[in-house]
Amino acid sequence: MNCEEFELIGLDLNQSGAREEELAAAKEHLRNCAKCAVLVESWEEARAELFLLADRTREAETPARVEMRLRQEFRARRRPKIFQRRPAAAAAAAWALAAAAVLIIGVSWWAWKNSQGIRIANHPVVAQPAPEDTQANEVLLADNDGGAFTLLPGSIVQETENASVMQVRMQRGALGALGLPVDQERVSDWIQVDLLVGEDGIPEAVRLHQDAGQGTLQ
Amino acid sequence: MGIEEERDDVLLRRAAKGDEDAFTLLYRRHQGALYRYALRMTGAAWSAEEVVQEVFMTLIREPRKFDVERGTVGAFLFGITRNRVMKHLERRPRELPVEDPANDRAGAREPADPVTPAVVAEHQERIERVREAVLGLPAEFREAVVLCELEEMSYEEAARLCGCPIGTIRSRLHRARALLLAKLELLRGTPRQASAGD
Repeated sequence: MNCEEFELIGLDLNQSGAREEELAAAKEHLRNCAKCAVLVESWEEARAELFLLADRTREAETPARVEMRLRQEFRARRRPKIFQRRPAAAAAAAWALAAAAVLIIGVSWWAWKNSQGIRIANHPVVAQPAPEDTQANEVLLADNDGGAFTLLPGSIVQETENASVMQVRMQRGALGALGLPVDQERVSDWIQVDLLVGEDGIPEAVRLHQDAGQGTLQ
Repeated sequence: MGIEEERDDVLLRRAAKGDEDAFTLLYRRHQGALYRYALRMTGAAWSAEEVVQEVFMTLIREPRKFDVERGTVGAFLFGITRNRVMKHLERRPRELPVEDPANDRAGAREPADPVTPAVVAEHQERIERVREAVLGLPAEFREAVVLCELEEMSYEEAARLCGCPIGTIRSRLHRARALLLAKLELLRGTPRQASAGD
């Protein structure tokens, strides 16, 4: 056995799996080779140091915090699927809520529309060409055709379920206080007017009686 | 039979179904060996901790990756650990020599019979010297030394864990020893020619 062959098995005779005759040859070589004897001695010294290193970490264990983290992760992963898929569930819930809100608004509007006992003319007070038989400067018209009310300036169409209709007899000039333009020459005329009064007691719309003459406010 | 006596593969199956106790027991059975391997390979406690955590995270995420036909749970976990360690070494090869050994005393034991401070200091010095020499070895050679010298596994066990023939382990050990001797003697200040090293 030469030095190179010895080095392959000689540093770990018990573990190397060498055959009996190889082991005998290695031992024989070791007795006769000073270089290999030094090598074995050096290795034994190194092995003692390796043992110290091994001994130093023989009982080393993962810090307890790792177990804690892993158990937390385990719990988080093993929760029921409904919780695992929280983002998707939340998105679906948001869409469902939005759809429900739209539906409710639609149904409410439809119900309001149908249950309305008093129809309010949706068109605001408008300037229209004066009828032939009225004066040229008449600009504001109230609809007295079919019982419709004309919104007063500044009023907003609101729920009319709790509103009430007040029949009042007033001088035409009082319409000016409601924000309507009044012909100064006819301010002292007495007219019959229906006022649509909201829940808060404030007139919201006005309707002229048939006998107020051509439905004009002026 | 209590959970303590259950086999690893049974525990893993139970863990996959959400049994936290089974998972915890499995972890406690294997974490020490995996941690020591990672610690000896990387030379850094924080790296070893990270590796072990990643290994068991993998187990949590993909418990069904384990195939009982292909080996034991221990071997499966070691395989994952080994891959993680190698990736870690590839990522941070330059950090090892400058690692502060004072940070890596997790589980470290002091000499059994520290007679004098001088003896303790000499003991520490020898440990640091061999530690530095081992960490200076190429990863494959280092692994052979860690498994066969530090973990005291047989060549056969080491070959099985590394998934290579026994001859490969023997050859790696032969070269690793030569390199280790050269490094140690260099560190001791008494250089000797390495006959089988690079």
